[in-house]
Amino acid sequence: MTTTVCGRCKSSGAVTDHQGRQDGAVVWTILRCPTCNFSWRDSEPARAIDPAVRSADFAVDAGDLQRYPKILQQ
Amino acid sequence: MTMNDLPNRARSISSLRDFLELLEDAGQAITWSDAVMPEPGVRNIAVAASRDANGAPAIVFDNITGYPGKRLAVGVHGSWDNIALLLGRPKGTTIRELFFEIAGRWGDQEAQISFVPEAQAPVHECRIEQDINLYDVLPVYRINEYDGGFYIGKASVASRDPLDPDNFGKQNVGIYRLQIQGPDSFTLMTIPSHDMGRQIMAAEREGVPLKIAVMLGNHPGLAVFAATPIGYEESEYSYASAMMGAPIRLTKSGNGIDILADSEIVIEAELQLGERELEGPFGEFPGSYSGVRKAPIFKVTAVSHRRDPIFENIYIGRGWTEHDTLIGLHTSAPIYAQLRQSFPEVTAVNALYQHGLTGIISVKNRMAGFAKTVALRALSTPHGVMYLKNLIMVDADVDPFDLNQVMWALSTRTRADDIIVLPNMPAVPIDPSAVVPGKGHRLIIDATSYLPPDPVGEAHLVTPPTGDEIDALSKRIREMQLGALS
Ligand SMILES: [Zn+2]
Repeated sequence: MTTTVCGRCKSSGAVTDHQGRQDGAVVWTILRCPTCNFSWRDSEPARAIDPAVRSADFAVDAGDLQRYPKILQQ
Repeated sequence: MTMNDLPNRARSISSLRDFLELLEDAGQAITWSDAVMPEPGVRNIAVAASRDANGAPAIVFDNITGYPGKRLAVGVHGSWDNIALLLGRPKGTTIRELFFEIAGRWGDQEAQISFVPEAQAPVHECRIEQDINLYDVLPVYRINEYDGGFYIGKASVASRDPLDPDNFGKQNVGIYRLQIQGPDSFTLMTIPSHDMGRQIMAAEREGVPLKIAVMLGNHPGLAVFAATPIGYEESEYSYASAMMGAPIRLTKSGNGIDILADSEIVIEAELQLGERELEGPFGEFPGSYSGVRKAPIFKVTAVSHRRDPIFENIYIGRGWTEHDTLIGLHTSAPIYAQLRQSFPEVTAVNALYQHGLTGIISVKNRMAGFAKTVALRALSTPHGVMYLKNLIMVDADVDPFDLNQVMWALSTRTRADDIIVLPNMPAVPIDPSAVVPGKGHRLIIDATSYLPPDPVGEAHLVTPPTGDEIDALSKRIREMQLGALS
């Protein structure tokens, strides 16, 4: 089932960007988290997209987006 | 395909399709028609193929679940055999021979550039200007499992200098990683010292538009030669044409940029001045993930593509990968040419490893300790400034492309104090061993022999037989061995 909770920053409210079809039926959905910009396909292995089992090393802290540096500053 | 046809056949390539056909004829491209899931199926197959750095074929997928009718190619530059065929040389050509093939092409040929009217350019066969959805065009997939999104890893991005837009020479073509950020947007990762980084900063400083054209599925020579550290004012198209010894056909993108007329797909886009979006991580060439950063974002204004286009992508991550065969030789050759301007004693440069984070240079010692002088010069070449982190210096009788020989030199010609550590030097930001991103140490190992006034001097070397006769014998032994199997 498609969840709109982001596997990376655990924010809700992901938007649907695209659905893949095969013989007319939807076979997967691509979602995007507007908070941390993580994009995923709901058919991917759980370890990449399920917040319950995904590695914490690759988590993004939705409460502290300031910490990520901005490239190409004047 | 006979051996004699190869140089002409290579020179007649004008598109990815031509090259895939050549590869297929040589047994170097296969079609994967079994159903495969985008994740993890495509990645698994690409990684399995790249284990064979010498002989891996390109793989064309035509049955990816959820992408009916769409084609994806990976590993086009994924083996030395594929690179050999691109250069008009037979499969089995050694890396050393390929290196000298490229090094020998400098200044050899004139660029042959022709312009095709837009209406006749194959890349414009199909045009999308409304309701743009990149996911509808590109069969994307997550390249490494913790990438922050779906990446376009093999895009040649063309742009004009925003402050001098009419100057052909100041057009830039470079390879940058793009992360799709919704149906009609993408972020582009670059650094201030790269041409695109410079152009973005100039456009934002002056408040002028920056339009780009992202070319996918290109003439295979462009990816090899557009990733090159050459002078800013030299056109990559002219350079690629001269190095291939072959004509290149250009046309105009809808937003006025010179693009290859025979590419599979072109995405036209415009920089959103001053805006940044979260980008990354991405599994990069050192074999580790980049961090998450806020990167410039581009809005897609139109897409052109050939009928039934092929989306070409790359597997990049912990080596060995297509990235290494794609850029390795053409990382090494400019360093060689630049060193030889000062020191003709340099006989070869192998900077194949992680974009030159480790390099091996062979040199005829002019005097005791001379190799160290050459190493220091290498660090001041355009690529050396950021990338050459570990340098191993060997004598001219050691082939730097044969790691068994390099290990012999390390074993027999290196004293533990024959090293130089240069602390706190510039470093590529994505080198995971850096002290802080962008700053780290350099290491020079002098594995050359000893000359007077050194009291030891050269050892009395064993000289096993070498040359054509031994090469022919070793080939015959291999054939007899293969024959014994059949
Ligand atoms: Zn998120």
